Amino acid sequence: MTRQPTRRNWGAYLGLGCGVLGLLTVCLVIAGLYLMGSRNPSVVQRPTPAPNPVSVLRIAYSPDKEALFTDLVARFNALGLTTDDGQQLRLDAVRMDSEAMVKAAVAGELQAVSPDSSIWLDQIERSARPAQATPESGSLTGQTKGALVGETRRYATSPVVLAMWEPVAKSMGYPDKAIGWDDLLKRAQSDKNFKWSHPSTTSASGLLATLAEFYAGAGKTRGLTEADTQSKAVLDYVTAIEKTVRYYGEGELAVIERARREGPSFLDAFVVQEQLVVTFNQQQKGAPGRLVAVYPREGTLWVDHPLALLEQPGLTPGQRQTFSRFRDFLLEKSIQQRILQAGYRPADLNVRLDEAGSLISATYGADPRQPQTALQIPPATVLDAVRAGWLTAKRRTNVILVVDTSGSMSGQKLNNVKDALAEFLRQVPSQEERVGLIEFGSGIKSEIQLAPLSQNRPRLENSIRSMAANGETAMIDAVRQAHARLQATGDTERINAIVVMTDGLENRSRTTLNQLLTEFKSSNNKAPVVVFCIAYGNDADIPKLEQISAATGGLTRRGTLETIRDLYKILSTYF
Amino acid sequence: MNRTRIIFFGVVLLALIIVGVSLATRQFQQGSASIPQPQAPRVVEVRVVTALPVEPWVQEAAKTFNASPDAKIENSQIKVTIIPMDGLTAMGQFERGEFNPTPTAWIPDSRYLVELSNATFKEKFGRDVFLTDGEYRARPIATSLFSWGIYDSRAKVLRKKYGTIDWKVIHDAAIAKGGWPELGGDPQWGYFKLVVPNPRRNVGGLQAMVAAAGEYYSKTDISVADVTNPEFQKWLEELMGAVTDFSSLGSYTAENIALFGYSTGDGGQLLESDLLVNMQGIQTRWADPLNIVYPKYLTWFDFPFTTWVGPETTALEKNAALEFQRYLLRPEVQAKAISRGLRPANTTVEIPNDSLFIKWQSQGATTIVPRTTAMRSPSRDVLLALLRFYDLRVARR
Repeated sequence: MTRQPTRRNWGAYLGLGCGVLGLLTVCLVIAGLYLMGSRNPSVVQRPTPAPNPVSVLRIAYSPDKEALFTDLVARFNALGLTTDDGQQLRLDAVRMDSEAMVKAAVAGELQAVSPDSSIWLDQIERSARPAQATPESGSLTGQTKGALVGETRRYATSPVVLAMWEPVAKSMGYPDKAIGWDDLLKRAQSDKNFKWSHPSTTSASGLLATLAEFYAGAGKTRGLTEADTQSKAVLDYVTAIEKTVRYYGEGELAVIERARREGPSFLDAFVVQEQLVVTFNQQQKGAPGRLVAVYPREGTLWVDHPLALLEQPGLTPGQRQTFSRFRDFLLEKSIQQRILQAGYRPADLNVRLDEAGSLISATYGADPRQPQTALQIPPATVLDAVRAGWLTAKRRTNVILVVDTSGSMSGQKLNNVKDALAEFLRQVPSQEERVGLIEFGSGIKSEIQLAPLSQNRPRLENSIRSMAANGETAMIDAVRQAHARLQATGDTERINAIVVMTDGLENRSRTTLNQLLTEFKSSNNKAPVVVFCIAYGNDADIPKLEQISAATGGLTRRGTLETIRDLYKILSTYF
Repeated sequence: MNRTRIIFFGVVLLALIIVGVSLATRQFQQGSASIPQPQAPRVVEVRVVTALPVEPWVQEAAKTFNASPDAKIENSQIKVTIIPMDGLTAMGQFERGEFNPTPTAWIPDSRYLVELSNATFKEKFGRDVFLTDGEYRARPIATSLFSWGIYDSRAKVLRKKYGTIDWKVIHDAAIAKGGWPELGGDPQWGYFKLVVPNPRRNVGGLQAMVAAAGEYYSKTDISVADVTNPEFQKWLEELMGAVTDFSSLGSYTAENIALFGYSTGDGGQLLESDLLVNMQGIQTRWADPLNIVYPKYLTWFDFPFTTWVGPETTALEKNAALEFQRYLLRPEVQAKAISRGLRPANTTVEIPNDSLFIKWQSQGATTIVPRTTAMRSPSRDVLLALLRFYDLRVARR
């Protein structure tokens, strides 16, 4: 017999079930809360491994020492050093020319710099605090309040020299006779075929060359004044000398690389650091000759490669420590020996210049006992006046921009070129430079005649803004027209140049390449024209462009969407 | 027991198990978190602003001190940190309140910088910040003096022409329009190049001008009237016209003369210790040693260890600084100073025979300075007048 649940029993079961479920729910909630509470980090501090923070020091270096500096930075970063509190020490090295370095330092984008010369440290300080260029009056307190340039150490030096092909130097009396700036300048004026160059005043070697010209013009070797730099006689002298400069350029490294490729046909003499001469001779295999370092008789300058901390607001203790450790690393004996092997004179005097692996010897075209004397570095205000004087006296330019706006240039390609052209116009240092423009596709689309920038700038800017991509590529016809325009000026006083940019294969010109090259050859003796080519993108006809530039002593560079702006900026330094 | 009761007790048991496991888990976690951690010893930081000529020695001493059992005070570990800075620059930062945190101690180049600083603070706040007597008084930790350092080849020519080397001879060499050929030297040497540190960056530059004034007037106590005398200023301007470069790294002048050799400086009046430590390097690099010549009017630097007595530092920090000061005066630490060309401040320590002073005796160095006259410390007004002259007549030339 089975028991049948009654109505009363059903009620009891229901009540019991609810009670049990309620109790179970309460227990589960309590258990859950306990367990959740135990996982709350504020309640129990169980140590958990965290990734190591990194202290990054952003440091800019001058382009001339790229190979050495990037190697040293890589070695330092590979050491995996840490601060006392466990932060990794890292350097983020970025290549910058002196002007960009000064701007970036003042804008707070860098925590340290290593320019080619201490001259630029003064420039950083003066740019950061133009109102406090001199210390507070009535103060004994040394540097101005809150100086931006902090601790500074040198780790390598190199004298600025005249690099000459050995036969050229011998023809001027080397090694028995001390050669001076004066000899170089006389030779440049008397020998029409003598080609020499110095970088613009944005590098220490360019500034030295210019300073030496002003000293020579003033008949002094010290005590150059602002009045000297503005004197008509001095400016006339410097202008006459600058007329003999073949063209300027983007810096010492680019010049020495071209010297290796092209040999004595490129230049007879140029101004660079001694380090570049000795490394050139060290890597002589396949080189077209031997260079020698001539230490100018009247005096030279040193590039002293300072490493300087920038006392930026917000500089962290970790960044400060990164700087100190890198400074100590650079001064270690093994690193100083590495610096010597790279052709520099190391800051550690205990590292002998004649030890094994040294490049500072006659074998490599250097003399470790030179220089005997240096030019006096004038105050910063006089250096500014020298730079300003150079802009007045430098050799002027006639340059025609030849721009491909064929159909393949549409979209971002053309937009970036427009930006780059505008940048080029901004970078050309003087309003007295004459600039023209030829836009081409299937034929010449538009042309702005050569005229000084002071008159031509609005026309050029309008023309650049209104460029549109269409048609095919008649590049050779456009270059021929630019060449004809420059020849028609008959101007031998100025640098005559064409900057041609194209992104595709030549397919529409009536003139052939051979005809163009023949015209260059026949007319370039009268008014030499240099052609610089930009091969834009992957489809440009590089061999053809190289033939054109090589025939005129110019050069061809590859450009991309990302680099086109910088490329035009670099080419502006040639004028 | 009927099925209902079994279920009931089963559920209660399950609930108890859940609560029990939860409690046990939590207890275990709390237990593991409360394992006692070893306590790091308390650290007393001593920050010492240190003049550049003694900085390498003091830096090295701080490292050995920090690692030694002596670096303890009242169960705390002393950690000494060195802040290298030129004396004038440091004085400026103290006066403008730019140090943060305030350094515990200062080793300036010379005692007179401490006196000038105290004078400023007394005027502003009515109190000294660096005590000159009592337990915390300034004590020299080493000494050095200014002497001529001239390249041997150049010194020979000057001696042949003038018979001696002093400020007046250097002035005449500096104004020789024809440069070295006019003085009887090699034409390749160019004009005579004087090395004087930038007085705005290195107190040694100011000292050089004070010493030149002393010799010009043949007296040790220079006044404002002396340095503002137009004739003297003309003479000093001509002298300073022979300085090659004031623009670059002005704080390390002896290093400059070593690194760039005779190309940027034929000679100058520099700190003896700086010259001695660079002698070997100069000889190695330039194959032309320096001659050391002691001038008639001597200027000494005494590098006083000076404790900041203001409320910005604790008593424990001040006492920890004194521990380091005592350490620097120990004979074995003083011996390290001698090896860096400094003269010992601890009078019980003698200069050994293998020191730089003996090594470079042939070049003029000596342990016992010839009987000469010591220049008196210049007043603040004299220094200000010289700096004004430098700013207006030399830096802007």
